[in-house]
Amino acid sequence: MGQATAPITAPDIGQEEETRSKELPDRGYLVVCWNDPVNLMDYVTHVFQTVFRWPRAKAQKHMLQVHHSGKSVLVRETFEKAEHYVHQLHSYTLHATMEKDE
Amino acid sequence: MKFLRLSNSKKETAPPLLLFQITPREKAALLAVLQLFPVLDASHHQFTNPPQPARAAEQRLLQESMSQLQDAHQRKLDQLFRGEEQFFPVSRGELRMALTAAQLEWLLQVLNDIRVGSWVRLGCPDLADGAHLKLSGSNAHALYAMHVCGEFQSIFLEAVT
Repeated sequence: MGQATAPITAPDIGQEEETRSKELPDRGYLVVCWNDPVNLMDYVTHVFQTVFRWPRAKAQKHMLQVHHSGKSVLVRETFEKAEHYVHQLHSYTLHATMEKDE
Repeated sequence: MKFLRLSNSKKETAPPLLLFQITPREKAALLAVLQLFPVLDASHHQFTNPPQPARAAEQRLLQESMSQLQDAHQRKLDQLFRGEEQFFPVSRGELRMALTAAQLEWLLQVLNDIRVGSWVRLGCPDLADGAHLKLSGSNAHALYAMHVCGEFQSIFLEAVT
């Protein structure tokens, strides 16, 4: 009993919050799918459903955007996830690229 | 060819099978077109648009990854169509083809590699926009492959949706 203890110091909350905010992932990378005249519309819809696990209506909306506007921004993600999605879309031979959202 | 139904496998643990009705001529066309795989060159895959020197490492990784995927598809194709297990006769002049959902999924990728690769070899024409092709002995087979792949893809997509 009564042993000497080290003085208690309050945690530096400000510093912790700063660290935490630094650790927030940078979801500033866009995955873009581009139009081409060769991929079948149903195929593109199927790929979006499979890769992003989207419902058919959402996949179709993006497919039509690609078809009519020439491209569609599919997702905004971290670098690693966006790169993963670009690889997935290329495995289905879709023309997908990644860009930094400025 | 047409999609018939989803059928449970004889083995309880095996995944269900998608059953297709296919004629011997269609089977021959499918196998002939699959023999063309791979068609698409790895340089077709671009990580950024336009290409950026700062992303050279990611570009290289994407192309390596796609080349490895083509190798894996090739091995699966060799395995799947080595024997005649996928096809079984039901009547004179009529066959059934059975595929799992996973097999159908990568077959879609394989067919699209052939379709897009053939389109690139034709000079990337916009055929729906009335682009005229100068067909020759050397590129006619690419147009044929493109259309055959599209036909099979449409039927496979009908089955998965």
